[in-house]
Amino acid sequence: MPTINVTVNGERYEETVPERLLLSDFLRERLSLTGTHIGCTYEGVCGACTIHLDGEAVKSCLMLAVQADGHAITTIEGLRDGSLTPLQAAFKANHALQCGFCTPGILMNMTEFLEKNPNPTDEEIRHGLVGNLCRCTGYVHIVKAVREAAQSTTR
Amino acid sequence: MFPAKIEKYVRPQSIAEALAALGEFEEGDAMFLAGGQSAMQAIKSRMLRPECIVDLQNISELKGIDAAAGGLRIGAMTRYVEIAQSAALNGAFAALADAAARVGDRQVRNRGTIGGSVCWNYMASCMPAVVLGTNGTMNLTAANGGERSIAADDFFLGPLETAREDTEILTSVSWDAPVSKTGSAYKKWGLVTDALPVVGVCVRVSVGGDGTCSDARVSISGLAGGGERAPAAETALLGSDGSTAAIAKAMDAAAEAADTHSDMSADADYRRQLIRNLGREVAASAFARART
Amino acid sequence: MASKPIEDTADWVGTRLPRKEDLRLMTGGGKFLSDMVLPGMLHAVFVRSEYAHARIKGIDKSEAVAMPGVVAVYTGADIEHAFKALDIPVLIPNLPAQFPKYHALAVDKVRYHGEPVALVIARDKYVAEDASELVIVDYDELPVVIDAEAALEDGAPRVHDDSKDNEIFAMTFTGGETPEEQAANDVEVEKIFAEADVVVSERFKVHRTGVTPLEPRGVLCEWNESDGLTAYITTQRPHIDRLALVDVLELPAEKVRVIAPRDMGGGFGIKAPFYRENIIIAHAAMELGRPVCWVESRYESLMNIGQERDQINYMEIAATKDGELLALRNRGIGNNGAGCIGVYWGFVMPFLGAVEMPNAYTWPKGDVKLRVASTNKTSLTPSRAFGNFPTRFAIERSIDIVAHKIGMEPAELRRKNIIPQLPYTSITGEYYDSGDFLGVWDNLMAQIDLEAFRKEQAEARKEGRYIGIGFSCGVELSGVASDLMVPMENQPGYGAASVRLEPRGKVYVFGGDAPSGQGHETATAQAVAAIFGIDPDDIVVTTGDTTTTPFGSGSIGARFGSYYVSAVAKACEEIKDKITRILAHDLQIEAHKQHFEFKNGDIVYLGDPTKRKAFKDMVERIIMWPINLPEGEVGGLETTAFFEADKPMICFNADCCMVEVNEESGAFNITRWVTSEDVGNVINPTIVEGQMHGALVQGLSNTMFEEFVYDELGQQMSADFEHYKLATAADVPDFEITYSSTPCPHTPLGTRGIGEGRPSSVPGALTNAVCDALTPFGIEITELPLRPNTVWRKIQESKS
Repeated sequence: MPTINVTVNGERYEETVPERLLLSDFLRERLSLTGTHIGCTYEGVCGACTIHLDGEAVKSCLMLAVQADGHAITTIEGLRDGSLTPLQAAFKANHALQCGFCTPGILMNMTEFLEKNPNPTDEEIRHGLVGNLCRCTGYVHIVKAVREAAQSTTR
Repeated sequence: MFPAKIEKYVRPQSIAEALAALGEFEEGDAMFLAGGQSAMQAIKSRMLRPECIVDLQNISELKGIDAAAGGLRIGAMTRYVEIAQSAALNGAFAALADAAARVGDRQVRNRGTIGGSVCWNYMASCMPAVVLGTNGTMNLTAANGGERSIAADDFFLGPLETAREDTEILTSVSWDAPVSKTGSAYKKWGLVTDALPVVGVCVRVSVGGDGTCSDARVSISGLAGGGERAPAAETALLGSDGSTAAIAKAMDAAAEAADTHSDMSADADYRRQLIRNLGREVAASAFARART
Repeated sequence: MASKPIEDTADWVGTRLPRKEDLRLMTGGGKFLSDMVLPGMLHAVFVRSEYAHARIKGIDKSEAVAMPGVVAVYTGADIEHAFKALDIPVLIPNLPAQFPKYHALAVDKVRYHGEPVALVIARDKYVAEDASELVIVDYDELPVVIDAEAALEDGAPRVHDDSKDNEIFAMTFTGGETPEEQAANDVEVEKIFAEADVVVSERFKVHRTGVTPLEPRGVLCEWNESDGLTAYITTQRPHIDRLALVDVLELPAEKVRVIAPRDMGGGFGIKAPFYRENIIIAHAAMELGRPVCWVESRYESLMNIGQERDQINYMEIAATKDGELLALRNRGIGNNGAGCIGVYWGFVMPFLGAVEMPNAYTWPKGDVKLRVASTNKTSLTPSRAFGNFPTRFAIERSIDIVAHKIGMEPAELRRKNIIPQLPYTSITGEYYDSGDFLGVWDNLMAQIDLEAFRKEQAEARKEGRYIGIGFSCGVELSGVASDLMVPMENQPGYGAASVRLEPRGKVYVFGGDAPSGQGHETATAQAVAAIFGIDPDDIVVTTGDTTTTPFGSGSIGARFGSYYVSAVAKACEEIKDKITRILAHDLQIEAHKQHFEFKNGDIVYLGDPTKRKAFKDMVERIIMWPINLPEGEVGGLETTAFFEADKPMICFNADCCMVEVNEESGAFNITRWVTSEDVGNVINPTIVEGQMHGALVQGLSNTMFEEFVYDELGQQMSADFEHYKLATAADVPDFEITYSSTPCPHTPLGTRGIGEGRPSSVPGALTNAVCDALTPFGIEITELPLRPNTVWRKIQESKS
């Protein structure tokens, strides 16, 4: 079994993993970072498992753990440094989550989205959210929260 | 569902190393993994059960967009996000950016690659049809170092089938510099936003000095046979003035000739209608791009 | 609704308080079922039927058993006699039906594609899947019946060998209790139809779709001889699941504990039934003496659960030429699937859909009948808008069709026939307790300018643009009273809550229902904070553990705002009684609860505001220093209260949708969606609006995108998110939620339970809007899903 070196939420790990182990399972089961959620079988559509790989939003269920060797990962557990990020704060203020199962993936995706698009239109926000299914909120409050976070950071 | 057992994972640094790694296994037992956004679906559902995965992520010679001298070369490991945002992809090559910007979702575009898509050649996918419609060429290297180039017309053989041998690696997709003013465009329709295409249409046109169409290629994605050319539309566009009427006539011809199918997403007649509607919009856009 | 400023603690009810749940859920701290790991935990994978209908000739599990890492493999033959079949009383409604016998794993034959056939248990989940591929099932295919009408024909393949035919359930809902009364009623209804100015008669068909939550199901069971069985289940009703486990496994009741994880990734009714997977996982944990965990894959989830609607309604309406509705006649045919799910058996949803069919309109007479057919699909499972998605679509479309026939504005026809005064009992016997339907309707109309829209529409048509407006309204159950719950589900409807104060003045609330994202922790805390005059942060809410919570029938049917929070309020008031008795005694005054105000952390004697005591000090005094008490009092502050409404309660809404339809492609774009809601007194408007947004998008997604597809052999073609399409953020509009609320007179806080039935208003409003836009083409759409393809085809047919 290969040994991989990964940095996750700033911590370095050297772990031996089976070749077939999914990155999402590695994070959840090996590192006990259970904030990364699984909502699909094989299709990788729901986006609840979204993490940052070298700063970019990707779906951890569509990667093998061995592919992450040598890379830096951020999961929802590592998103904030102390206080809530502006996006998290906006999510809370605007009731942008209900069951919270999709929320970690949405926060990871939208965090990177806002880095790339600091001043998005609602249409751009909605388009940016296509890779994250949410079943509870109807997306209205999520769009509002992302818009508000953008305004609070660009102001 | 979880992947079946994988015996070996390697991450070569060069094309030569990748081919050598692949050669260590019986043909078909080892596979290249590019962005993995389709391949991992197949591996997780156990439709694919590779013994060895050769991960191409470290091979820098497979990455990048080179638009020197009016032509274009896109490394096989270039991701959708880079294609969608490349300033080089205008005019003749704009259809590539149109398509890449609407593949899957942000997360998929952050990992998925053009090479992975064209080699997988899924029935309902955008890139193979767009490469076909823009007349791209697939550049392959074999285990012995031999290189060959295959035109899109000869490369895509049908859903999940291409002319690439299992022992070959796709290094890049390239396009010649257009001889005259050329524009291209692509648009698809699916039930929900940015879904796999129920139908997509790619048009590439060149206009001569007199403003008429001197060259036209039209391809359609989402057909039962995968991406296919629409020769009837090409013939109709060729020599036309690119007017609304001419375009409509061409797209009617494309719709008429297309071998559409019915499934849970749309019926055969509606697919024809989509070809008409999308085709008109896309062709108008391609002409406009050719003329700027 | 503006946020109420918090001037004092009474304002906690009605304010837009950010949720207590959010911090953990936004930081990866949520604890969902699949996040749990127990020492020695084993992983389970089901082998599921490849066929829709087949005899099981034999199962060879030898290779799977032999695989290293595999601990056990169970088949139907292994468990058939190990514990009971699932047709046990606690899971059977008090409705007349042919209840099929079924086991946790299929015995003898499979009845739908995806039915569990074997269970593989291994130390590693990847290995469990490897081994599941080695279980060889020898099938003998049987003829398949997928269509409900075909299933009811003579000679159709029989889905259940122990039933006399495929009609699992049939009922007449109008005319009286006896067949004679009903027949006499039918004759009267027929007479009305024969003499009516206008008769509308249509076949409405709604496809199979539902409300798939993002988190699939899961079960984790552990067993030890002294404590018995602890089952962690993603369930909305842990107390019912516990009783079912007790009865099926024949365990002593005190040896079974069910815990619904505090965090569940959505439920929407889908986690309300008792599922067969729970039983076999519990059995395996007991037999193996190790924890066993099963986490459902999305593939299994989409194949087995969350499928609802799927109904044909032959609806007829008789009306006068002035738009007065005279009679409703309906023949419903529900496609039940195999019906192998506890509590609901599939048909309970169409049953309620028929009960709720009359909706908000005054029907002098009606003849409503329903037949539900067993087919080789998976069972219908409850999905938000429980049972009434197909019937609401039919009724709301029919109203518009009547309007089109008599040349009346559909909005006007609705207003003319909306029930003007409550309470009211519908032709199907449903009791509407309170509210102001016309007030809600008029509020909706005040949000839009219908006259201006009609002008704009006429102008647009001249330019070849087609815009349309559609309406619908909806009476929804606000919780379900025992009156209806006992017959319908064989369970009580009351709400129950325990409230416990601890010596520092903090409050613990325990509820037996199990929420899945609706914000119950926050809304409960707001209600308690307002009653005790303290801060919501001082309140801790625990739900879903059968050992620590009072019996509750579950987080279902909008029970929170109606029954559960009322029980919480009642318990708090009982505690206030005790506190004030003792405080009056301490202050040496003659006073009762009504003479005290609980506000801003103090208890103030209204007769003399200088006589006051800090709430926390008084609580500590009663719990820790129970001396010098009034005669007969003892210390301690804890109580359990039950709330029951005498009669069922309702909430009400009306919706307006505007669209623009592209004539060339049939594509339609929702340009505006406005609602008017009577949700009673609101505890947290932001949460209520979140519920409405979510419900409306579920309704849109069901109407436009989602469809469970079976081929002619009963193979499921839509068991992943590439094929079963949920609406994304880019596919749906924003919504304007407005209120026209009346406090519920039957609940202590005036609240109503809301949100459950809300998706059912969507298909009618949207389809009405599309048909309204296409009035020049004379198109009446009577089938869902509503997609550009369908609209385009209708336009083509109209043109030719």
